[in-house]
Amino acid sequence: MTLDVGTKVIDEHLITELNMQTVTFNKSKNSRAVNSESSKELIILDEPDEWSNFSNKLDNGADQWESHLVVEGMHCASCALNVEKAVKALPGIISVDVSAASGRARLVWSAEQTKPSIWMTAINKAGYRSLPAADALMRDDRRKSQRLMLWRLLVAGFCMLQVMMYAMPAYYASPGEMTQDTLNLMRWASWMLTLPVMLFSSGPFFKSALTDIKQRQISMDFPVSLGILIAFLVSSAATFEPSGWWGSEVYFDSLTMLVFFLLTGRWIELRMRNKTAGALDVLMQRLPSSVERLNANGESERVAVRRLMVGDIVRVLPGEAFPADGTITLGETKADESLLTGESRPVSKINGAQVIAGSHNLSTAVQVRIEKIGDSTRYAQIVALMERASVDKPRLALLADRIAQPFLIMVLLAAAGTALYLWQVDHSRALMTAVAVLIVTCPCALSLATPAAMLTVSGKLARSGILVRRMQALEALTNVDTVVFDKTGTLTLDRMTVSSITTHQTISKEQALQLASAMAKHSLHPVSRALVEAAKEMAQAQGDNKAVKAVHEVSGAGLTAESELGALKLGSTRFCEMSEVDVNMSNGSVVHLVSDKGWLASFEIVESIKQDAASCVQKVTEAGLQVQVLSGDKLAAVQRVADVVGIKQVFGDCSPQDKLAHIQALQKQGKKVLMVGDGLNDGPVLASAHVSIAMGQAVPLAQAQSDFVVMNGALSMLPYLITQANRTMRIVKQNLTWAATYNATCVPLAIAGMLPAWLAGLGMALSSLLVILNAARLAKIDTISS
Amino acid sequence: MQTLGSESLTYHDTAVRQFSIMAVVWGVVGMLVGVIIAAQLVWPELNLGLPWTSFGRLRPLHTNAVIFAFGGCTLFATAYYVVQRTSQVSLFMPKLAAFTFWGWQLVIVAAAISLPLGFTQSKEYAELEWPIDLLIAVVWVSFAIVFFGTIAKRKVKHIYVANWFFGAFIIAVALLHIVNSAAIPVSFMKSYSAYAGVQDAMVQWWYGHNAVGFFLTAGFLGIMYYFVPKQAERPVYSYSLSIVHFWALIFTYMWAGPHHLHYTALPDWTQSLGMVFSLILLAPSWGGMINGMMTMSGAWHKLRTDPILRFLIVSLSFYGMSTFEGPMMAIKTVNSLSHYTDWTIGHVHSGALGWVGLVSMGALYHLVPKLFGQKQMHSIKAIELHFWMATIGIVLYIAALWISGVMEGLMWRAINADGTLAYTFVESVKAKFPYYFIRFLGGTLYLGGMVVMLWNVLKTATSGQPVTASIPSVASHV
Amino acid sequence: MDILFLLVPLSVILVLIILGGLWWAIYSGQFEDIEEEGERILHED
Repeated sequence: MTLDVGTKVIDEHLITELNMQTVTFNKSKNSRAVNSESSKELIILDEPDEWSNFSNKLDNGADQWESHLVVEGMHCASCALNVEKAVKALPGIISVDVSAASGRARLVWSAEQTKPSIWMTAINKAGYRSLPAADALMRDDRRKSQRLMLWRLLVAGFCMLQVMMYAMPAYYASPGEMTQDTLNLMRWASWMLTLPVMLFSSGPFFKSALTDIKQRQISMDFPVSLGILIAFLVSSAATFEPSGWWGSEVYFDSLTMLVFFLLTGRWIELRMRNKTAGALDVLMQRLPSSVERLNANGESERVAVRRLMVGDIVRVLPGEAFPADGTITLGETKADESLLTGESRPVSKINGAQVIAGSHNLSTAVQVRIEKIGDSTRYAQIVALMERASVDKPRLALLADRIAQPFLIMVLLAAAGTALYLWQVDHSRALMTAVAVLIVTCPCALSLATPAAMLTVSGKLARSGILVRRMQALEALTNVDTVVFDKTGTLTLDRMTVSSITTHQTISKEQALQLASAMAKHSLHPVSRALVEAAKEMAQAQGDNKAVKAVHEVSGAGLTAESELGALKLGSTRFCEMSEVDVNMSNGSVVHLVSDKGWLASFEIVESIKQDAASCVQKVTEAGLQVQVLSGDKLAAVQRVADVVGIKQVFGDCSPQDKLAHIQALQKQGKKVLMVGDGLNDGPVLASAHVSIAMGQAVPLAQAQSDFVVMNGALSMLPYLITQANRTMRIVKQNLTWAATYNATCVPLAIAGMLPAWLAGLGMALSSLLVILNAARLAKIDTISS
Repeated sequence: MQTLGSESLTYHDTAVRQFSIMAVVWGVVGMLVGVIIAAQLVWPELNLGLPWTSFGRLRPLHTNAVIFAFGGCTLFATAYYVVQRTSQVSLFMPKLAAFTFWGWQLVIVAAAISLPLGFTQSKEYAELEWPIDLLIAVVWVSFAIVFFGTIAKRKVKHIYVANWFFGAFIIAVALLHIVNSAAIPVSFMKSYSAYAGVQDAMVQWWYGHNAVGFFLTAGFLGIMYYFVPKQAERPVYSYSLSIVHFWALIFTYMWAGPHHLHYTALPDWTQSLGMVFSLILLAPSWGGMINGMMTMSGAWHKLRTDPILRFLIVSLSFYGMSTFEGPMMAIKTVNSLSHYTDWTIGHVHSGALGWVGLVSMGALYHLVPKLFGQKQMHSIKAIELHFWMATIGIVLYIAALWISGVMEGLMWRAINADGTLAYTFVESVKAKFPYYFIRFLGGTLYLGGMVVMLWNVLKTATSGQPVTASIPSVASHV
Repeated sequence: MDILFLLVPLSVILVLIILGGLWWAIYSGQFEDIEEEGERILHED
């Protein structure tokens, strides 16, 4: 670390400064005066240069921006709603999407009508903390919030243990065994140690409950706070004045336990969230904040990545991430590109090789010339995609959001009703039963059920190179009954291979290929590359290298050259002046090698089919899905590919309109269609299918119209993805069932007074935990069947 | 202070060396006294009819010697060694560290003289009279200053978990010692406890239990967390677990004391509280045991060739065993059988010989060659021999006392149909005779192993030279 | 059991002291990135 202390750049200062301002602002309680003060400070963000650090401009012509924020303090579904409500009403806000599960928000806003400071202040006023989702800020902030959370939890934990110790004797001492003095001493001690739990550990609950009151809304923390407060007041009264109507029972142990369990639930939730959304975060935080740039004199200086320009030369040390897309100009190394391309093995990078931003330099320090920076990098496109997906809400989660609010109101009514009813019997019991009702009904589990599972699986998929663009699609994927493949780039690779060779009797196949390859080396045409590849594969068998001279390319036709066999020609039938009759090869295209003495050889060139295509189709068919192939290519070529991979329903010669019509026709028949394409030429088709997957090696990701992007284009990912979607929906359903059952059983129990407050707290924490743990099962690593 | 101003570039290991050697010496002495009193139980004539060699005076000498002389010196040595290595600085105030060595030896010698002479406060594990108690307090505060001073000037941001254990042990022992030893002196070697009656008993066992918890457990867990990973050349199995179990352990141990006073004048609810916390204690104790054991995962084969590692790992299994046995014995119904019988002594020794003894020996075997510039101990065969003598000794010892204890308890509670006791007390004593003999054999074997160790250590020390280890340059850590 | 009037307040104070220690540990970052710390002792001296 000593290394960069001296050279840390201005940006760092700016960031810390900004951060500190935000923090001071949030800590202060005097809201109105400070709010206007802080808005002044948030004005820094109103500079387009600043907001563009966490925003992308939409390319729809209008001056509209999409910004990503980290919103803190959201613990439930209705919190997300509250934030949305707070912002939606503002002028100039086009849309807002908040995910409680990932703690993130996406806003689309018009720069003509509003400014970041306005909507950020609005969120802060609603009682949450919002920060630009810029990495440096976020990382520091996360650490702070984690420390605070841990500290709150441990205070509650230790005080709980101790209070339990003071409380326990009263449970098993026979009446009269403990003197009144001793009992009082124990209560006093319990009260003392409950204070920090009330004043500090429960802070977040009270704070958000208070905001609820101010905003005339209700979130899960409201009933919980009410419960804690009543329990504390009743117990304190009993401690100081045991003869009052509130009775002489104290509940400090239940109270501290409850707070501890609640906080444990939140703490685990926080940790799981960090872990399951791991891939997302890892990816988003991939770029280093600074990098060593070489200046004109060849000296290195540390600069912020934001300050990099195209053409800069930077030095990237092993273990560091590449800050931008570029070319290696000095040294060679291995790079880990797994998160960006799905390629799990280290990729070797020699001098002149392309490196991508966000991949990791594994072995040695290299110098890189920067070619693409910022939003134009593939990394930025992926991040943008994932950011959008993480706030996308599946239908089921929306449902949970919608019922949360009325549900909470019912809870309050139920608690009040219970208390009123029992009031005539026993005042203190009435209060404590109400407390139990308030606590046990918190629909935390319900609201976590879907997002926890979705986040886990999208993190996992991202690690295997599949980006989820629309969470809803996971649900849709489980209902699909027809899979339609595009051909080129989907079932086939975008390169060609030599499938067969026929030669004149005077020359061997190897020799012919050698000769052709020697000529083809000088051309970049796909057919030439196929010949060179084929020759390379055969090279071991062959010793002598055929020399060719004076290679000349006749554009669009073929190559000519001189050799010991005379003047050679390599190219199409017409270029080689051959009649169609001489050639008895049917499929694909054919090139010939002729000398001035006559025909030497013919090579049949075909599209190469992805190795995993056949097994993918087989698996999908076995799963009971109909499989079709739909292509713009000639029917014969499509048929050949379909035969190899085992697809029965083949449609060729389709224009894009035909394709669209075909999909729509299928949908009219009531089919649920999954379209698998390369994402490049079939955008509208992908968009119209129920679910779509882009096999995107070549795709500019930001423009891909599909629900999923398989980054390395491996077809084996398709059955895997379907399995994962099925598992996810199964888990979501389990979670929802469990959460609903829990609430349905425990609420009546609590109302009947059969559930003490501490057990209610435990139940609530455990039910949330179960949901999260159940979702975590999705993250379990399983082998990708290939 | 020689190091003030210019920071030392080498570790201060003089005190570590002195404490290490004396740990072995006192180990032999303390165990010898133990064997003598074990022999006295078999052959009572061996007390020679002299007051200062009688069982009642030698027994506290034995417990003080093994716990505070052998165990204490080991803890001083390892704490000074580990805190320097993990903090990457030399000791804070090395002269004060030298004082702690000489002061501690003085305490031991004073105990060895005063206890046979019959000066005692009659508090178990805290028998020493008030002038010695004062000296202990001074030495202990100096220990704390050196240790925490070194932590304070550390060059590594993170405080390694072993140091947390050492730190808790030092603070807790200071607190326990001061509270429990509060007494009103009436003459140079006589004082009365500041507490009276059952209160005194409560404070004494709050102290007594925590002496086990912090001196014999936390301190030695500190040793375990450094020397097991070092010797196995593997990181701790789960570092997070080590931290969680640290906090849980120190928090739970504090309140388990009353289980030593089951069925006494102590109020019932206090006893039950002690029982509950003793049972809870099982969890953090086993957390540590599992963490230590699992550190070996993937390196189990090393146990075949490395006797030092075997010392450490077997010590952990004894730790697991006795921390399971302890809570069981704290259950009131079990306690009604075990209390006052040899079972209790067997339990103590499975902890003391098995856990504390073996882990200390393992750590010292690791340490001594390093301190004297040797590659390894003078004789690996001798370590091997020591290991087997010690292990067989422990097994004989605890098995004998287990049987004898349960038998004794059953005989005490056996009643005839008319409600009279089935056995007289002396009958139960006679019945224990063979087991006392086996225990004597076990103790002798264990002592024999220790003598082998003393020879091995002295050979290693004399064939080597005290070395001054230099502190690696701290480059990569902030 | 008058001794309880000493021991119980003492225990309250003790808890507060332990919490103080914890506070320091958390805020000095003792509990962050800890798994590497276990490895480190193997590489020095």
